[in-house]
Amino acid sequence: MSNTDQTTLAATQSGRPPFYRDATVVKWLAQVFTLLLVVFALFFLTTQALENLNRQGIEIKYDFLGIGLGSDLREGIDTDPDTAGRALWAGAVNTIRIAVGGIIAATILGVLVGVGRLSSNWIVSRMCSVFIETARNIPLLVQIVFIWALVATLPDVELDSGPINGVLHLSNKGVSVPRVHIDDGFYQWLIFLGAGWLVGSFVKRRQERRHDATGQDTYPVASLVAVLAVFGAVGWFAHPIFGWVGSIFDFIGDGYSRLTPVIVQVVLSLAAVTAAAWWIRRFLARRRTPAGLMKLTDDDKFRIIFAGVGALAVIAFVLVGWPGLSSWIINSGTDLLGVIADKFGDGRTGKPMDIKAPDVEQIGNFPNPGPAGLNLTQGGTAVFFGVVLYTASFIAEIVRGGILAVPKGQTEAGLAVGLRRVTMLRRVVLPQAFRVILPPLGNQYLNLTKNTSLAIAVGYSDFVQVGQIVYNQTGKTLEVISLWMLFYLACSLTISVIVNFFNVRMKIVER
Amino acid sequence: MTVPMGDPAAPVVDPAEAWAGEQEPARKPEEPSLSAGEWLSKNLFSSAVNSVLTGVFTLLVLLAVRGLLNFTFSEERTWRAVKTNMRFLFTHAYPQDQYIRIWVCVGAIAVLSGLSVGLLARTGAGISMKKLSMNLMGMGGVIGLGILLREPSAVVDSEGLVVHREAAAVGDSFVDWLDTNALAVLGVLVLANVALAVWFHLQGTYLRDGPEPRLAHGVLVLASVGVLIVQQYATGEIARESFVDAMADRAWWWLGAVVLAGSGAALWFGLGDSRRRNTFVPAMHVFFAAAGIMVLSAWAYPWGHYAFLEGEFISEPGRTVAMTTKLPWTVMWALLVGTFLLGRALSTAPAARRLRVPLNLLWVMAPFVLYWAVLRDPDLDWDHVLSTDIPMAVFFAVLGGLVVWYLTHPRIGEAGRIMAVVLVGVAVLNWVAAYFGWYPMLQKARISFLLLAVVALLAHNFAGDRSQRLRLVVAWVAIMAVFHWLVTLVNSPSTVETPTDALIGGFGITLIVAVFTLLAAFPLGVLLALARTSKLPIFRVLSTAYIEVFRGVPLITLLFFFTLIFNLFLPSNMSLTDIAGATIGFALFSAAYLAENVRGGLQAVRQGQYEASDAVGLTTVQRTLFVVLPQALRVSIPPLVGQVIATFKETSLLAVVGIFDFLRIADKVISAQSEFLGVKREGLLFASFIYWIFAYNMSKHSQRLEKRLGVGER
Repeated sequence: MSNTDQTTLAATQSGRPPFYRDATVVKWLAQVFTLLLVVFALFFLTTQALENLNRQGIEIKYDFLGIGLGSDLREGIDTDPDTAGRALWAGAVNTIRIAVGGIIAATILGVLVGVGRLSSNWIVSRMCSVFIETARNIPLLVQIVFIWALVATLPDVELDSGPINGVLHLSNKGVSVPRVHIDDGFYQWLIFLGAGWLVGSFVKRRQERRHDATGQDTYPVASLVAVLAVFGAVGWFAHPIFGWVGSIFDFIGDGYSRLTPVIVQVVLSLAAVTAAAWWIRRFLARRRTPAGLMKLTDDDKFRIIFAGVGALAVIAFVLVGWPGLSSWIINSGTDLLGVIADKFGDGRTGKPMDIKAPDVEQIGNFPNPGPAGLNLTQGGTAVFFGVVLYTASFIAEIVRGGILAVPKGQTEAGLAVGLRRVTMLRRVVLPQAFRVILPPLGNQYLNLTKNTSLAIAVGYSDFVQVGQIVYNQTGKTLEVISLWMLFYLACSLTISVIVNFFNVRMKIVER
Repeated sequence: MTVPMGDPAAPVVDPAEAWAGEQEPARKPEEPSLSAGEWLSKNLFSSAVNSVLTGVFTLLVLLAVRGLLNFTFSEERTWRAVKTNMRFLFTHAYPQDQYIRIWVCVGAIAVLSGLSVGLLARTGAGISMKKLSMNLMGMGGVIGLGILLREPSAVVDSEGLVVHREAAAVGDSFVDWLDTNALAVLGVLVLANVALAVWFHLQGTYLRDGPEPRLAHGVLVLASVGVLIVQQYATGEIARESFVDAMADRAWWWLGAVVLAGSGAALWFGLGDSRRRNTFVPAMHVFFAAAGIMVLSAWAYPWGHYAFLEGEFISEPGRTVAMTTKLPWTVMWALLVGTFLLGRALSTAPAARRLRVPLNLLWVMAPFVLYWAVLRDPDLDWDHVLSTDIPMAVFFAVLGGLVVWYLTHPRIGEAGRIMAVVLVGVAVLNWVAAYFGWYPMLQKARISFLLLAVVALLAHNFAGDRSQRLRLVVAWVAIMAVFHWLVTLVNSPSTVETPTDALIGGFGITLIVAVFTLLAAFPLGVLLALARTSKLPIFRVLSTAYIEVFRGVPLITLLFFFTLIFNLFLPSNMSLTDIAGATIGFALFSAAYLAENVRGGLQAVRQGQYEASDAVGLTTVQRTLFVVLPQALRVSIPPLVGQVIATFKETSLLAVVGIFDFLRIADKVISAQSEFLGVKREGLLFASFIYWIFAYNMSKHSQRLEKRLGVGER
């Protein structure tokens, strides 16, 4: 090695390298540079958009939500909405309706097909795999449009049409099935069910403890169900005795409406600061070892700073960014409490729930599905069956993979200790398979919810399609697209939270 | 240090490379060959439950098949609409006199595929004669069953209208009785099956494995098949052919079924049991033979016909698609097979492995060249090319070449860093100047400077001996030449005139958008994945936010954003076409999903690999490019192929934002033509079929890959 090399080596080892080769400096320089680049790109695009909008004399405002909408919706809770906001609300309900129904149906079908594909019967497993390969390899949009065209080939609706008149109506106008709906006394009945749940859980825990102590069959789950059934049955008739609950909510609402915006602002700001402080404390506590505080990395410091900046940002938003927020919270909270007080109020003597058979009504020359049943129009049918078949094929593969992921030794061990086949499946295989299945299953639920937005191709009045009607009439494209994204982000977040909740529970079971 | 300068995208663009070096997994021990009776008892009638399931599901399968056949071949179907619009469906309004360009593109892809498969793909053992003959016999059997199950065609009069019977003529023979009571009869058969199953179960016959159960159940299952067939010949309101006429009508189908089943049977009985199992044909040869037979059939029989005389841009009246395309398709087939054989011959040569990198580069280049140079036929402004474009390209090639040569010197030291920083400063300054309008500069010069700055920053990671440095200089010169050439092409107007806004539509645009989406999304996705797994917090937060937001919103809202209002966000002198906007939307969306797939792969790389890289003194860039990414991408190939399929399927959303893609033409355009008003289901069924073929083959391919890579084994 030459002399120069040795001196360089000595220089580098003696202290920190020069700043432009110091890893920490370069690292942060690169990050800050990237951040600035991203911020600048966003800034550039936004200013361009504002400038272009200004030139066209358009403002970004959400007041179009209160303006009347000139057209009807095909289906939903409100087919003739007064305002654009109300129309979007009806569209959102339609989306949620299709998504929830689709998730349930796709799960059932997917599990059946997934298990069927593992069947030892050749024809069953073959048929299931043909279904999977067909449904998942044709684009969903093509399937939806195709089903839409198929529904058009069904017979016309007649007064006494439908395969089972009064239960199931199938026609080129769509599908009608009986509607199960909440009636007058539902909320007070809920109180009974809640009480039943409390008592039932208590009984269940006691039975479990007895089982653990004595080894007898004590049927804990069955006792929970029995207690719930008893409470539900009693509550079905006795629910009006809870009429006084409404006045409690009235009282709370009264107090709530006396809040002033300043108080709400202070409370929100304090909440933000407290949350940040609590988070930082917990973070530091986790970094603490028995010997004392661990050395904090750049990353940790950044996180702490980020929490502080976040709290400050929330405060700035509450106080300066949107001062109207606090009065909005007060007003809408009061409204909500008023609605709840009404639901639990006196004089609700009707049944908790009821069922209505679908009917066909004749207006002029044209028979149409009446409002009594639960109707899906042609577009709704196409979207529903499209997303269900498509998602079920993916769920089936997930279920199959999950079951195959359980080692064969588990099955054999379960049978060897003398469990019956069904018990073995329920107690040994499925809990383990479920742990593998759940995360990808959650992804599929998310995809299904997002895929309902393809309804726009067949004119089902979901959130996206109603949004399109709204921006066609008001020209507020940017605003509507922002609402779309917010709505679906909220849906995605909700589903992730629910799936994560179960994920965590499964993990506890595993230990 | 010599490190091969490979394209990190290569393994996914051509997965062939990734597994070419893999060991062939040990073949499973063969299962004992079962006789037909044993196979039935084992797979269909092994227990009471299984027997009942077999009965019920056979019925369901047959009902589904019958429904599909009757739907497809019904006299209500106007398949002429699809046949006539074939060219429209695949290329929309691309002018017919320029059609040679399409064939050049298809031919180029055929040549590249043939070479890649021939050179790189491992042949494996291939398909055993046993499997081949069973498949042939099975296909023949399925066609035969289909011929029997389909309802007899309606009788049409001389004007082609369906003949209706008078109410009095509707008979009440046994067949009619069976038709009206079919549901009850089938129900009785199913119940009888259940009763039999219970009886045999109580007898314990299933355990003894005797022939009784499968005989008895089989008779009942066959009876239900019979009911399903006979029921079709009931005399309804529409006059239909008799059984004999119907079978005579389908004589060509019978011939096909008999030929298939016969050749299968000949193979089966011609070879003994051990030869059946131990003789193999390569899968590619079977595929080429099948494709060849299909191409040949177009010479023998003119599939389809054109009866409608309007709309000349769609077709030439009086000629069929098969007639006009049989010659090109034959050439394509010959190109594919020829290059495959060539590749196969070359693959044994020791230099074959060195052909991989150029082949992969060709695959990456092909979409750009084929779209901008071949399909668009740009009208180059030669004065500008000679005075500006070529000198500029030469300038950057020479300047960059010198910079690369200088900076990759292993002992460049501090001078190199200073030079790199100066270059970065110049590149950034150019963009700042663009924002404030200080001095004019061609955009491609700015981009070239930026590329040069990035290369200068990374150069020390690639330092090596003279040959290594020379290779890098050549690579830089090639990149500059291709880049400037492409930019010149993109900036030249197209000479291909189409009656619509878009150059090409139909299945063409579906493929083009999918390919460009993936080419853009893949590097972005890898960068996002690296950022998300990085230890640097700002990178991680930015990347996580991006991924979660783009995965949380539906694709359709992104497409609306990019086609409807994204132009608002651009300076007033810039605008995007719908297709470009949609491609950006697709790419940003797919990148978020790709990033998650790659992240999975990155997490699978062992910690020891990082430690070993650090121990031998690799820089972060070297460690990422040469150690971590190759392993991570290899693990994530199966999910990446899954994402490729998903992107391909998602391109059907182009139809919703008003682009004339495959689905939109099948759904909206054909049904609006005056000759085919309201004809929708045919086009949609055809579109489903084409999408299915592509997606299914890709997914099968990825499953094979998964097996070969042993990903599923963990």
